Amino acid sequence: MVTPPSTSRELSRREFIGTTAAAGAGLLLTSCSPDGTPKTAAAKNSPLNKINIALIGCGAQGQVLLDSLTVIEGLNLVAIVDIWEYKRNENIRRLKSQGFEVKGYENYEDLLANEKDLQAVVVASPDFWHAPITNACLKAGLHVYCEKMMSNTLEGARSMVQTMRETGKLLQIGHQRRSNPRYIFALNRLVREAKICGRITSAHAQWNRTVTNDLAWPKKSEISAEQLKKYGFKDMHQFRNWRWFKGLGGGPLSDLGAHQIDIFNWWFGSTAKSVMASGGVDYYTTHDWYDNAMVVYEFTTPEGNTARAFYQVQTTTSSGGGYFEMFMGDEGTIKMSESPNTTKLWREDRSTKAWEELVGENYLRASAVAKPAGDADKVDVRETAPLLEYEIPVSFNKKIHQPHLENFFNAIRDKNVKLNCPADEAFRSEYIIHKANEAIVAQKTIAITKEEVEA
Amino acid sequence: MNKIISQLTVAILLAASTAFAEDKVPLKTDLPKPMVVGTPAPIPKEIKLAPEVKQWPNFMVPAGTVNLAKGKKITSSDKDEPVTGSLDLITDGDKAGEEGSWVELAPGKQWVQIDLEKTAEISAVVVWHYHSQVRVYHDVVVQVSDDATFNKEVATIFDNSETGKDLAYIETSFGKLMDAKGVQGRYVRLYSKGNTAGKMNDYIEVEVFGKPAK
Repeated sequence: MVTPPSTSRELSRREFIGTTAAAGAGLLLTSCSPDGTPKTAAAKNSPLNKINIALIGCGAQGQVLLDSLTVIEGLNLVAIVDIWEYKRNENIRRLKSQGFEVKGYENYEDLLANEKDLQAVVVASPDFWHAPITNACLKAGLHVYCEKMMSNTLEGARSMVQTMRETGKLLQIGHQRRSNPRYIFALNRLVREAKICGRITSAHAQWNRTVTNDLAWPKKSEISAEQLKKYGFKDMHQFRNWRWFKGLGGGPLSDLGAHQIDIFNWWFGSTAKSVMASGGVDYYTTHDWYDNAMVVYEFTTPEGNTARAFYQVQTTTSSGGGYFEMFMGDEGTIKMSESPNTTKLWREDRSTKAWEELVGENYLRASAVAKPAGDADKVDVRETAPLLEYEIPVSFNKKIHQPHLENFFNAIRDKNVKLNCPADEAFRSEYIIHKANEAIVAQKTIAITKEEVEA
Repeated sequence: MNKIISQLTVAILLAASTAFAEDKVPLKTDLPKPMVVGTPAPIPKEIKLAPEVKQWPNFMVPAGTVNLAKGKKITSSDKDEPVTGSLDLITDGDKAGEEGSWVELAPGKQWVQIDLEKTAEISAVVVWHYHSQVRVYHDVVVQVSDDATFNKEVATIFDNSETGKDLAYIETSFGKLMDAKGVQGRYVRLYSKGNTAGKMNDYIEVEVFGKPAK
């Protein structure tokens, strides 16, 4: 049985994590927040706690991060960096319209040469620039929040972990689900404490997207050929669509799969011990990386059980239910997603767990379309009857990247706050994602040892 | 006698309805290619949404209806230089979700206004704010008036603000079609106040379908 925390801590925690929830679930979140103690309130009232930061990379992901950075208390956004003048100036104007005056730089070297009061940077450049930028910033004495993938190469990712260790600075990798209160609640309370799924034997995650055209650009705002070459791009098409090109990014398996394959590692509490995969450039004609990929990992859980995880990413169809991570056990299944509308739980009829008790305590909510409670003694061998369906009565009213960024800034302020996704932890996921792309080429199962996943 | 009158009435009604039906045609427009970029912002469960538009609606308009907004002058409440783009993009006919296709105005409540140059009988307004990211649009209000200042004789054709009757909606490449029910006016004003993905106010294209008022 799960014991709700005392109500004395409820209010401050609820303010801090900014969730909306049914009363009982609100209590639950008090011990499932992204980190130890609330710091943002203190930061707001103390100028000494202001952290001077810069954003490096103002593309689509950089703008998503800016949406969070501009609402987190206690930050002083000093500068933004982008090689594309069009995006750089656009974001300077956008920030100005929101009351932020920032400087703009073309590259991180100019930033580091001119801004001597920075304490941290947030890196959202193309993947192949992550390692050089992160290593330079760590060596310059800055804490770094770097988007996933850590790097387009394992060597690059490994160098980032080594630099983090050498400099003693913080390096958080942008697997933002690791700080999402809904994910933390579901894992800590429902899966691990209540063991609501029983023994988890398999997992299935996916991100299926409809066909899209390559990204275009305003012709009048093109970057010069000379400048593109300087920064490692063949032309504007490659610059705008770098995720699809080998040597620059890792394709959909790393762009979309990275988040979800990281969830396999995190929730299973171990790292995959083998991978087999299939994928290919079957549809698009202008890309290097695979349109579609299907991957099977094998895990040994901390309890010594075997579990298998299937991952698929399709960029040729949005069918199949969008994007989610689902963990299936002998007593129940939990389907997680950053979209709260997709999150569901199903109870196996044979489950002996006290699901209804958890409903009574507002840890769960019976789905509106759930069938009446069945008789666990009756087993229909002809077809599988629909399972009882439940929901997590918690919704999250912050930007999805905000808690992970807050965890990073709180860790800068307070040594007692631990990063939720430090680079050495992220490297283990990074490793098995790279190995999936490798398995597609090799067309065979690749074994992964415990030793090789450590940076 | 009564039977003859009754038959005559039916015949007249049938003729009138046939003529009426012949005057109506399905509204058509060129649609942009769908595109979705980046991580979708989760949609809060608490928001009550209009059904997502998955295909161009079968919306009937009087024959001869055209897009009166094409190339017309735009003004806005944001007196600063747009964050990106320019106001003329709103009526330039380009509805693509690509960089360079939209104008972005400052955060908070903003409006853009189209001057149709003459009073028109308006059947529908179709707006594309932004369709390359899944966003929920709320606080959208669209009004028509013959008064450029919108201080008098204002007709509201769509309102999904807190006080309005329309629902929030997810915008797609089909845009948002709003039934103007033949309201007359020279100016069309569209209000917005961010969306679930951010505070900014974006416009790719606005089309105003109607005919010059008689």
